[in-house]
Amino acid sequence: MKTVKSMSLYVPGNSIIHRLEPITKLIYVMVAGVLPFILPANPTAVLCLAVTLAMLTISKTLTKVIPLTGFTLLVLLSILFIQGLFHEHNQTFLFRFGPFVFFKEGLSYAARISLRVINLLLGISLLSLTTKPSDLIDSLVRRGLSPKIGYVLSSVLQIIPQMAASVNAITDAQRARGLETEGPLIVRAKAFLPLIGPVIMSSLIQARERAMALEVRGFNANRRKTFLRAANQSSRQTTIRILLILILFAAIVWRIFA
Amino acid sequence: MAILSVENLHFSYTTGQDILKGITLQFDRRPTAIIGQNGAGKTTFAKLLKGLLKPLHGDVYVKGVNTKETTAAQLARQIGLVFQNPHDQIFKSKVIDEVMFGPLNLKQEKETARANAIEALHMVGMENKLDKNPYDLGLSEQKLICIASVLAMQPEIVIFDEPTIAQDYPARERIKEIIQHLRQKGKLVLTITHDMDFAAAVFERTIVFAQGRVLLDGTTREVFAERELLKHAHVEPPHVTQLGQKLGCRETFLTAEEWIRYKRRKS
Ligand SMILES: Nc1ncnc2c1ncn2[C@@H]1O[C@H](COP(=O)(O)OP(=O)(O)O)[C@@H](O)[C@H]1O
Ligand SMILES: [Mg+2]
Repeated sequence: MKTVKSMSLYVPGNSIIHRLEPITKLIYVMVAGVLPFILPANPTAVLCLAVTLAMLTISKTLTKVIPLTGFTLLVLLSILFIQGLFHEHNQTFLFRFGPFVFFKEGLSYAARISLRVINLLLGISLLSLTTKPSDLIDSLVRRGLSPKIGYVLSSVLQIIPQMAASVNAITDAQRARGLETEGPLIVRAKAFLPLIGPVIMSSLIQARERAMALEVRGFNANRRKTFLRAANQSSRQTTIRILLILILFAAIVWRIFA
Repeated sequence: MAILSVENLHFSYTTGQDILKGITLQFDRRPTAIIGQNGAGKTTFAKLLKGLLKPLHGDVYVKGVNTKETTAAQLARQIGLVFQNPHDQIFKSKVIDEVMFGPLNLKQEKETARANAIEALHMVGMENKLDKNPYDLGLSEQKLICIASVLAMQPEIVIFDEPTIAQDYPARERIKEIIQHLRQKGKLVLTITHDMDFAAAVFERTIVFAQGRVLLDGTTREVFAERELLKHAHVEPPHVTQLGQKLGCRETFLTAEEWIRYKRRKS
């Protein structure tokens, strides 16, 4: 049996955050991501960030965030740098760093963008690190998403690791029969070409087998589907959701009338 | 010098979970079966011999060459592996192209490669399927094509991973003939198998893997005589062997023919 590497970022665990319904977390991410655009940006983003960071800590996934967000942080740092130096409304001198002169307007503009982006990014990380993709899709289907769309979503999540597995199998078969695939880049590039056809072929075969397996199990039957897992619909979850949506609603009202 | 030797071989896929825990073996030219429970690490061992995986500790020498110092592709001249699942091996859309793939990689001329491929297809009885698409053939025929694609490279060592799994009776008999033929040509045939009747009927030497170690190693008759140790490895000797044991015979029978001969002698 082959162990297929999972593409999801999910870190198994049993914290309160893990046990929250996926939809509750999804609503939180959306509300927390949108709030800084409605309310005064910086304080709101900092507040949301603090809540997200607290939840990441509780779910023991804080360290997993760094590799996920590292690249974006780098980009944001360069935005800070460039805007701090060259923003068009730069007037107020802030400080000098070697040959570079930083201005307040540019830096605060960049900080505002960065905070919002980091806030959104950490929210999404929280959701992906503490939720199994299949559970999320399952919950969405429960809430009325068409099972067919749910199936397509989960297929997309599965197809990449599946392709990676068949790339491995076929590479082994080719190496076993004398095709050089190890060594310098040029050798590996040459070995890549004969891979493409077979990998697509085997993916198609797998897709056909899966379609047949679904068909015989009545996937296309015109009946309401039932669920294998029981829904975790505690009143607490509902309260959290209502609260989150109320906050969002209040923010919008404030924005319109204030 | 042994044609194939393994010294204190350790291997794991994930750190901390050792699949093979210190295996030392020398192989001569005797046809050899490797048996053991599902998940005992037999396929992993075959991939290590083939150079597709590299040891964590210890060494594998193929004709004196350490697999750590070469590539799987380089080793393909010496050692061939027939994969357990044909789907993991077949990737061309024409039988002849599939079988010629190896010889062409060995830098043979096109005509030589084709001749070798056709000879190998003859050996497995598939010479009239040259232009078929392997995906349209049955599992037995796919297996035979996999075997041909290894034989076409004429390696000195041939490893079969579970060759009889999902095979019908004629294909099984055909595989037996192929192994006998290879042995007559002086090649080392190593077979990983679950199929104890097959192991007993075809191989001179049998090695039993259990919990990542070699539990038993000897002539097939000696090994199948070890009832208790085999039970420990969750391996069941062939039925005819068990029959003899349960009837209290001192001899160990490996095939029905042996049992019949014994009975005739007695009466
Ligand atoms: N590519 C892999 N990655 C991780 N674990 C693997 C991989 N291949 C096999 N294993 C594990 O290694 C063990 C031995 O597998 P294998 O060598 O296939 O056993 P056998 O062929 O004796 O049935 C099994 O527990 C299996 O789950
Ligand atoms: Mg196996």
